[in-house]
Amino acid sequence: MHESNEHGHPHAEISHTERPGYYEIMETAVRELLVEKQLIGAGEIRRQIEVLDSRTPALGAKIVARAWLDPDFKARLLKNGRAGCEELGISFYDDTGLIVLENTEKVHNLIVCTLCSCYPRPVLGLPPDWYKLKPYRSRAVSEPRAVLAEFGTIIPDDVEIRVSDSTSMVRYLVLPRRPEGTEGFTEEQLAALVTRDAMIGVIPANSPAAENAP
Amino acid sequence: MTETRALVERLPNDIGGVKSAPIQQVEHELLPWEKRCHALADVLDFHKIINTEEKRRGVEALGAEMVNALSYYERWIVAFANILFQRRVLTPTEVARKMDEVAARSDDISQAAKA
Repeated sequence: MHESNEHGHPHAEISHTERPGYYEIMETAVRELLVEKQLIGAGEIRRQIEVLDSRTPALGAKIVARAWLDPDFKARLLKNGRAGCEELGISFYDDTGLIVLENTEKVHNLIVCTLCSCYPRPVLGLPPDWYKLKPYRSRAVSEPRAVLAEFGTIIPDDVEIRVSDSTSMVRYLVLPRRPEGTEGFTEEQLAALVTRDAMIGVIPANSPAAENAP
Repeated sequence: MTETRALVERLPNDIGGVKSAPIQQVEHELLPWEKRCHALADVLDFHKIINTEEKRRGVEALGAEMVNALSYYERWIVAFANILFQRRVLTPTEVARKMDEVAARSDDISQAAKA
């Protein structure tokens, strides 16, 4: 469907002289008609694009790092994910709730949306394509260990895997386990170890040794 | 009978637990129009014109053939148009005329750029 390489995507070179495609023309037409009918404001799309651009996994990483450092914050975050994020100044631009799932020695969490592509966008940004495609959506719930192995993550048999299926109203975020060897790390140092994929649950947080490896 | 039973029991989006291929870890930077389409979805939700659940059902209503053939945001924009037609917010004629206008406008821009 889409190429995975960042800059080699053929569509990235679209210039102003190239005619937009059928669906792009449809998008422009629908948007302009809605603005003409005053159902949406002309500047709202641009402002929402700015909001979308401001949401990246760095926000989720900050939440995770704070939870690792502050047990009281972690308790509040696990009780009400959305309120915990808002406490750190991360606003939710939609009506979705957030449940934060803590990985432990006994439980590994994985998130998916089997029906479509529901994802904790306010704290992670937009999901990667693989999260929205059929193989991940269909298999994550029935053979999570095999799926995790394809991401290079081997979960011991005595660790339970819990898969949470997102809905339009309830989204999930995985709180990964704090890596060994991070005693005395600052919040920023810890946040640097937390990747998007770790907060989806397909890999663990990076260990400091791996970060320093050549 | 067993072949059609699966069609009844599972709509095109309902694929949890279905056998599927190995995961290819693909991702791409959204094209500008795809990002506008995403922002449009959010704005439609804010104004309670089309919410997330209605959007998903709108994609599902495209049917398996279109769901499989169109890319992610192509499905969204077609679903939005269909829902807006059903709600009588827009008419197919209006959208067709506006699409002609948008296409003609971009042709003008490209002619000007070549001149």
